[in-house]
Amino acid sequence: MSEKDANPSAKDALVGGSLFGRWEKLRGREGTVVGITAVLVAVFPYLFARAPVVSGILQGYQSLATLILIWGIFAIGFDLLLGYTGLLSFGHAAFWGGAAYAAGIVAKNVSGDPIVMVVSGTLFAVLLAWVLGFLSLRRGGIYFSILTLAFAQMFYYMAASPLAFLTNGENGLTGVEVGSFLGVIHLEADVPSVGGMLLGTWLYAFVGVFFVGAIAVAYRILNSPYGMVFRAIRENEQRAEFVGLNVWRYKLMAFIISGAFAGVAGSLFTIHGAYVPLQSLFWTESGDIVVMTVLGGAGSMFGPVLGVGLYLYIENIVSTIQALTIPFTDIVLIRDFGFYWHLLLGLVFVVVVWVVPEGLWGILDRLRTFAADLGSKAAKRLRARSGNGGDGR
Amino acid sequence: MTLLETENLVKEFGGLVATDDVNLTVEEDERVSIIGPNGAGKSTLINLITRRLDPTNGDIRFKGESIVGLEPHEVVQRGVSKSFQTASIFPDLTVRENAEIAALASERGAFGFEFLKHRDSLTDVHDVARDTLDSVGLLDRANTVATDLPYGDKRRLEIGIALASDPDLLLMDEPTAGMSPEETKSTVDLIEQVKRDLGLTFVLVEHDMEIVFSISDRIVVLSRGGIIAEGTPDEIRGNEAVQEAYLGGVEL
Repeated sequence: MSEKDANPSAKDALVGGSLFGRWEKLRGREGTVVGITAVLVAVFPYLFARAPVVSGILQGYQSLATLILIWGIFAIGFDLLLGYTGLLSFGHAAFWGGAAYAAGIVAKNVSGDPIVMVVSGTLFAVLLAWVLGFLSLRRGGIYFSILTLAFAQMFYYMAASPLAFLTNGENGLTGVEVGSFLGVIHLEADVPSVGGMLLGTWLYAFVGVFFVGAIAVAYRILNSPYGMVFRAIRENEQRAEFVGLNVWRYKLMAFIISGAFAGVAGSLFTIHGAYVPLQSLFWTESGDIVVMTVLGGAGSMFGPVLGVGLYLYIENIVSTIQALTIPFTDIVLIRDFGFYWHLLLGLVFVVVVWVVPEGLWGILDRLRTFAADLGSKAAKRLRARSGNGGDGR
Repeated sequence: MTLLETENLVKEFGGLVATDDVNLTVEEDERVSIIGPNGAGKSTLINLITRRLDPTNGDIRFKGESIVGLEPHEVVQRGVSKSFQTASIFPDLTVRENAEIAALASERGAFGFEFLKHRDSLTDVHDVARDTLDSVGLLDRANTVATDLPYGDKRRLEIGIALASDPDLLLMDEPTAGMSPEETKSTVDLIEQVKRDLGLTFVLVEHDMEIVFSISDRIVVLSRGGIIAEGTPDEIRGNEAVQEAYLGGVEL
């Protein structure tokens, strides 16, 4: 099937003139991807938190929708490193938490303007990623992972005590006052009229714009020379070096770019909560982003966002279920069901990764192929039957 | 013009001398084959030239400039390309992308900041990749995922990747290793054709004597790390030291 699909485009590529046409088509596709993302982002909080029936089943709420987008930005950037370049960092809490602290400290001491907070948090994460990448990428494989973990833990302990005068130590950074956007819009206020019904708060809209931007930038990167080079490094690092590519610098760029995404997300996390927990620098945050990304599907652009959604859903909503009952009855299956959410998450993770290593996105992908196959088979059968019918008469 | 030159090149692994005072010159447009029994130091020599290994002593010059101290990718950027003994390709990328990676490196340098530029706009890269795939006969399979190619085609792609790097000197490490007789023949034809079309300089490491004698302008014989003979195929055929050290018993 793929052969048939492949051949016409191979011919297209041969004709110089249609190369431009193909380029135009792809650019169009980028617009489509961003457009669809924007629509989904716009309807998501409505479906999740407010729509009749659907939201009743989902039990979602507005601030969790915002949190999912924030972690989603983090995961998209992390996957550029893990899924596409093949580098497993166990220290991305340093960029997430570091940016969160930077944004919070700037808000307390300089300006609470949300844009200023995001810019300063992201800048801090980028600089930090440059330094830590420079040091960690000296080694490959497991040593790289351990180095990133060690550096990130160093920041955790620094924030916990030596830098407590800045970070407020174990209590986390409290008293962050987020200013209004452009001096007029209070982020915690509701968007008026229809926008409010869909989006809810201005904060969600603010985060949503960054999320759509993150998708657009990630899509661009994946379709730039970088996307190809990243995958080449993942596939065969030595060969990439021996075609004349400076593999080391490309790996550093992958690390910095993913750090930048983590920085945007971390800054938004501070704006969202008006508080930075010390936990945000802890190694479990680094572990969470790995689990989310792999659960959703490493090596796909949207997959990690699904992973984030499922993870946070189980952590925040399933965990509040008092007793698991058989639907529409009062028969209790498991008491204190929510208490076991970690176990449930672990089971879901194991089953997904075991059955479909490509994660949730891989499941969707397989369903789509399956449906397409069914469709074409049904069409063929229909054609055959009508052909036979004709013969019979 | 001398393209490649090694001067008193020595490589020791612990007590073992893998490359022993090798002075090798390769002229432009020359086809040189390096032969020798197993463990003679052929691969070590290639790995020294491509900067995969650091020499213990001596110098390597390419186009008159020393390349000792350069990174492997810098050597490739200077114009030395290598095809590997095994099919060292990018398995999950398409055949076209495999060639484009190499073309990107040769057309746009070792590194760039174009991470927001759509790669379809890199027409020079596409042109080089297409021409290369055409010359190795894989253009009609451009959209196939590389891992799905039969072994012989993977090896062709491997050579294609090396060619798309636009080298002045191509080092080929046993290009027909593990191939069936038909695949070997088509690979030899490919090398002949590429030599004709692109006017490349080759250094070939090969076990198959038939290929070596049919394809080479000059043969260098290594034994125990050192050069024991070099000359035209006819001279090597008649050389007693070579017969003794290496070819003894082999029908030529």
